[in-house]
Amino acid sequence: MAEIDDIIHQPLRLRIMAGLNALPSGTGLEFSKLKQLTGATDGNLGAHIETLAKAGYVAVEKAFVGKKPQTTVTATAAGRGAFARHVATLQEIIAASGGKV
Amino acid sequence: MIDSRAASEALADINEMTRRVRQSRIYNLASLMLIMWGTLVFAGYLGSFLLPRQAGYFWAGLNIAGVAGSFAISAFGYRKTGIRTFDFRMLIAFVLFFAFGFLCTSVLGHFTPRQMGTFWPIYFMLLYVIAGLWFGQAFVVIGLCISALALVGYFLLGDWFDLWMAFVDGGGLMLGGWWMRRN
Repeated sequence: MAEIDDIIHQPLRLRIMAGLNALPSGTGLEFSKLKQLTGATDGNLGAHIETLAKAGYVAVEKAFVGKKPQTTVTATAAGRGAFARHVATLQEIIAASGGKV
Repeated sequence: MIDSRAASEALADINEMTRRVRQSRIYNLASLMLIMWGTLVFAGYLGSFLLPRQAGYFWAGLNIAGVAGSFAISAFGYRKTGIRTFDFRMLIAFVLFFAFGFLCTSVLGHFTPRQMGTFWPIYFMLLYVIAGLWFGQAFVVIGLCISALALVGYFLLGDWFDLWMAFVDGGGLMLGGWWMRRN
C-alpha cells in the first residue's frame, strides 16, 4: 500500500489541495477566496500555502489589480498528481479495512 | 500510517471542500446572470409602467437580450472556470420554458397584462426554487421572496403594480445577485 503524503495530509493543506483540485487545470483561487472557503486565518493559510509551494504542489502568483495586491494560488501538475495519489491511498486504506470506519 | 476512520474523515473533508468550491463557482456565474436579468427586468417593468401600450415590444426585446447575455456570460465563465452554465440544451430549455408560459397565458388562458406581470416572475422563480434544491439555498430564498412579493403587488397595489414589480422583481434579482457575490 502507498504511503500517506504527510505534506498533503495536514487538515488545512488537505482542504487547500482539495479546493484547488476541484478547479480545471491551470485555474487558481484568490487568497481571500481560499481563506473564506477553508475558514483559515491569514497567517495560518499563508504558512501552509508556503509549505505546499516549497514542495512544488502549488504555484503562487502575486499581481496588482488596480492598486490592490492579489495573490492567486494554483495547483501544479505535480500537486495534482500527488493529490490524486493521496486520495487513492485513502481509498485503499478504507477498502483494506473492509469498508469499516 | 493512518487508520480507516482517519482516512474516511479525510475523504469527507475533501468532498466537502470540493462541494464548496463548485458551489462558489456556480454562485459566481449565477450572480452575474441575476444582475443582468435583474437590470433587464427592471427596465421592462419601468417601461410597462411608463408606456403600457408598448410593453409587449419591450419585453420581447428584453427577453432576446437576456438570452444573448446569458450566452455571453456563460462563454466568459467557461473561459475562466471551465464550468459551462449555458449551452445548447439550456437554450432549448429556455425555448420550452417560454413556449409553455405562452401556452398557459395566451392560448389556454387569456391573461391580462397584470396577470402576465405576476405569472412570469412567479414562473421564473419556480425554476430558481427547483434549481436551489441542487445548487444551494440562495436560489430558494430569492425565488420564494420574489414570488411572495409579486403576489402582494398583484392583490394589493392597484395602478402601482408595474412600478412595484420593477423594484421587487428587477431589484430583487439584482440584490440577490449582489448577495450571492458577497457570500
